[in-house]
Order: sequence, then structure tokens, then C-alpha cells
Amino acid sequence: MIAMRVSDMVWLGFGLSVMLFMTLPLLLVVLFSFNQSALTSLPLTGLTVDWYRRLFALNSFWPALKNSLIIGFTVALVSVAVGTLAALALSTMPARRASALLSAVTLPVMLPALIIGVSLICFFVRFLDLRLSLFTVILGHLVIALPFVVLIVHARLATFDWAAVESARDLGASPWVAFRTVTLPIVQPTIVGAGLVALSLSLDDFVITFFTIGGGNTLPTLVWGMVRTSLDPTINAIATLLLVLSIGSTVIALRLSRYRS
Amino acid sequence: MRLKSTVVRQLLPLAPAGVVFLGLFVAPLAYFLVISFWSVRARIMRPDFTIANYVESWSRYGDVLLRTLLAATAIGLVTTLLAFGLAYAIRFKAGRLGPALLFVTLITLFGGYLVKIYAWKSILGRDGIINMALVGMGILDEPSPAFIYSTAGVVVTLTYFLLPFAVLPIYGALRSIDDATLEAARDLGARPFAVLRDIVVPQCLGGITAAFTMAFLISAGDYVTPRFVGGGAALMGNFIETQFSLGFNWPMGSAMSFTVLAASLLVVLAFRSLLRASFRP
Repeated sequence: MIAMRVSDMVWLGFGLSVMLFMTLPLLLVVLFSFNQSALTSLPLTGLTVDWYRRLFALNSFWPALKNSLIIGFTVALVSVAVGTLAALALSTMPARRASALLSAVTLPVMLPALIIGVSLICFFVRFLDLRLSLFTVILGHLVIALPFVVLIVHARLATFDWAAVESARDLGASPWVAFRTVTLPIVQPTIVGAGLVALSLSLDDFVITFFTIGGGNTLPTLVWGMVRTSLDPTINAIATLLLVLSIGSTVIALRLSRYRS
Repeated sequence: MRLKSTVVRQLLPLAPAGVVFLGLFVAPLAYFLVISFWSVRARIMRPDFTIANYVESWSRYGDVLLRTLLAATAIGLVTTLLAFGLAYAIRFKAGRLGPALLFVTLITLFGGYLVKIYAWKSILGRDGIINMALVGMGILDEPSPAFIYSTAGVVVTLTYFLLPFAVLPIYGALRSIDDATLEAARDLGARPFAVLRDIVVPQCLGGITAAFTMAFLISAGDYVTPRFVGGGAALMGNFIETQFSLGFNWPMGSAMSFTVLAASLLVVLAFRSLLRASFRP
């Protein structure tokens, strides 16, 4: 009995140390973004928001933020529309065919972003003769965001009670009306959650953006330029901002998909 | 006629996703594969059918490829082991803390790829926390670059980045294991390790394979981490990236990409069959 307890404590200790490993580095970034000294060393010399002030005064910051938001929201909206439609179609299919299609759809997630990025630049520039712009970045982000939306919405629909939709149809509702008044309100939180996941993926992506943007910056490519040159605490500030944006939308997404149970 | 229209109606909602998948994923990859057989003369890419790029990938970058596969294997194994331990602790051992641990895992999922790499650069770097602490305590006379310019730095950083992604499929598989089976095994006298080896692991082979595959493939193609925390330890991704940013030799970069992919696929398949052979249910 005591041996059991010791092993439980070892497991818990292991879990907590992995947890520390997962969170501590990010906490340090946040902490140093408020540190007075320009050196990344402990103990902190005093708290300041100077690095944020410096960041907001940077000429390159605001256009990068704007580009990130334009790309992120477009990707979220398009991938939610396209992904929800696909998830609905998959959920009415025979299970085996649906799971085969699902594993095909998730292939882009398995592939290194570098290979997606370079294959897209070849395809866009040489084959389609497209000029690289925010539009090509949006197309690139769709490739990695769509699988997540399809997976999340499909998982929700797997536990969805289709009897409610059928009774609406029996009562004379058209497929569209039944979808709008029965299906949509029930799965809506999941759809919004999936959209936020797509948004965080897009806001966070560096590699595909790097190859498909041509000119201009998003927040990650701006960070890349800064990290390449130095360990400037302004990076801590912009990194914290990126963290807040992506973790914020993930937390809201999780909250919304809690409606599952 | 009627049958046809229902089929169309069933497939129509899949069409937009199909366009994205085929038009922005399959077609670019196929075109990219075609390019790998082209040649470059006077810095201009010309349609051709040559395997010279593949030959050169092996002969010139063979040692880099080997280093990349070794690093990716190390990252894949460490990540999968840690992820399994964490998922196991969350599912069976953490009790009421479990959901909290899972929540933290999920919020670090999208916590910034570059931010995570930068965080480790500022921990391991020349002016980083470890160096500052060691100098401050008088253990080192001056900051050492040893922590950052090594493959170990790449392994730590990528493991850190991939861990939350690896926990999810394993946790998903562990969640569907029936507690009653485990209790039955224990009641029949199985030791905890035997339960783990004979019941738990065989039932989540799918999750473990998915975690390893993802961690391995993403590491094998990464170029940002080696660049920032790997120093001299440049991996295949760095050389591929160079073909596109500085070298303008797209066919070469393409052949190198498919070489890494093919070699990676072999490693992943080997891992799969090894795992299946050693944990036959």
C-alpha cells in the first residue's frame, strides 16, 4: 500500500516537473519584458514598461500587427466556413470512408512547414505566376489551419444527436432551415472555438509566411528579424504580446468547446 | 438520376475543402516533385529530366542528412517518452490535478513557435540566464557558448516546442482505456510495470506512433531552431532554406526536401514496426 503511494508521488512529481519545463521558459520571457535591465539575468533590477513603449514606437510594429490581424481573421473565417461544410459532409458518410478522408486531410499537419512553404513558393511564383502578397500568405495558412477546423468540428459532430435535425425535417423544415435553427446553434461554440484555433495558428506561423509574403512583415517575421540581430528586450515585449494573443484565443476556444459535455 | 443528385449533394459540401487540399497542398507538392528533376544553368531553372540533384543530395549532404536523422530520432524519442509519461500521469495518477495539467498543456500548444525558440535562446545563449548565473556564482570566469552551439540545444528546444502536440494523441488513446481491465489485471496479481507493458502501452500504440511521427517529421524539416540555438550544428532544413533564399537553386532544394522526406519516412516506418513487434498485445 505504501509502495503504491510512493509510486503515485513519483508520477505526480514527474508530471509537475514536465509542467514546469513547459511553462517556465515562457514565464521568463514575460518576466523579462518588464525588467529594467537590458540583460536577461535574475534577480530583476526593477519593473518597467519601457520595452513596450519602445516597441509601440517602432515604425515597423504597427504595419506588422495590421498584416497579422488581416491574415489571421481572413484565415479563421474562410477555414471555418470551408471546414464546417466539410465536417458536416464527413459526419453523414460511412465511418470508414470518413476516417480515410480525415487522415488524408490531416497530412499537411504532419509535414514540416518548410516543405509546405517552399513548395508553395515554387507553385505560386513559377506555375501560377502569382505575385507574392498577403493573399498568398492567406492561401498558405489555409493549408495548415483547415485540417484543425475539420478535425475539431468533426469530433463535435460525432457526438451530435441527428434525431433533432430529422424531426425538424419531418416537421417540414428545409435542409437549410433545419441547419440554421437546429444544427448551428448547438455546434456554434465549437465552430467559434475552431475559428480561434485557426486564428492562433495563423498568428503564430512564421515559416510559411516567410516564404509566401514577398514584401512586408507580420509579427512573427518581425520577431525573426529582431532575434537574428540581438537579444534586445523589445523582443521580450513583442513575444509577450504574441503569447497573449495566441494563448488568449486558445483559452477562449477551450472555454467554448467545454459546451461539449 | 435521383441517385446521382443525392451523391452530388453529399459531395458538394466537400468541394471547397477539396479545392484547398488538392489545389494548395497536393498540386504544389506534385509540382515541387517535378521541379526536383529539373536542372539549373546560368542561374536559370530549366525543365529537364535528370537525377543529378538527388545524386548530389546524397553525395554532398549525406553527413548532414545523417546528423539530421539522428537529431530528429533523439527529439522524437525524448518527446514521445516525456509525452507518454505526462499523459499517463494526467490520465491515471494526477487525480484532481489532471484536468489542470491538461489545461496547461493545451494553452502552451499555440504559445508561439518563434517565442519558444527565443525563450531557449535567452536561457542557453552567451548572455543567457544559465551563463549569467554560472558567472555570477563564480563557477565560470566568462560566459561559455557551449550551451547554445550544440545539437543538444536543438534537442531541448524542439522537445520543448513539440511536447504539447505529442501529449494530445497519446492522452486521447489513454482516455479510451477501460479502468476495469487494469483493475482486473491488478487483481489477478499483475505488477504495475507488467500492467503498463502488457495492457496500457499496447492499447495506445496508435497515439504513440502519431506522436513520434509528428515530432520526428517536424524536427527533420526544421531550420529555425538549428539556426538560433544550434549554432554550427546546421541541419538539412538550413541547407534547403539556403537553396531558396540565397542559392536560387530550386531544383536542388526540391531534391533535398524529397530526400529528407523519403529518409524520414523510412525511419518512421521502422519505428512503427519495431514498436508493434515489441508490444504485441
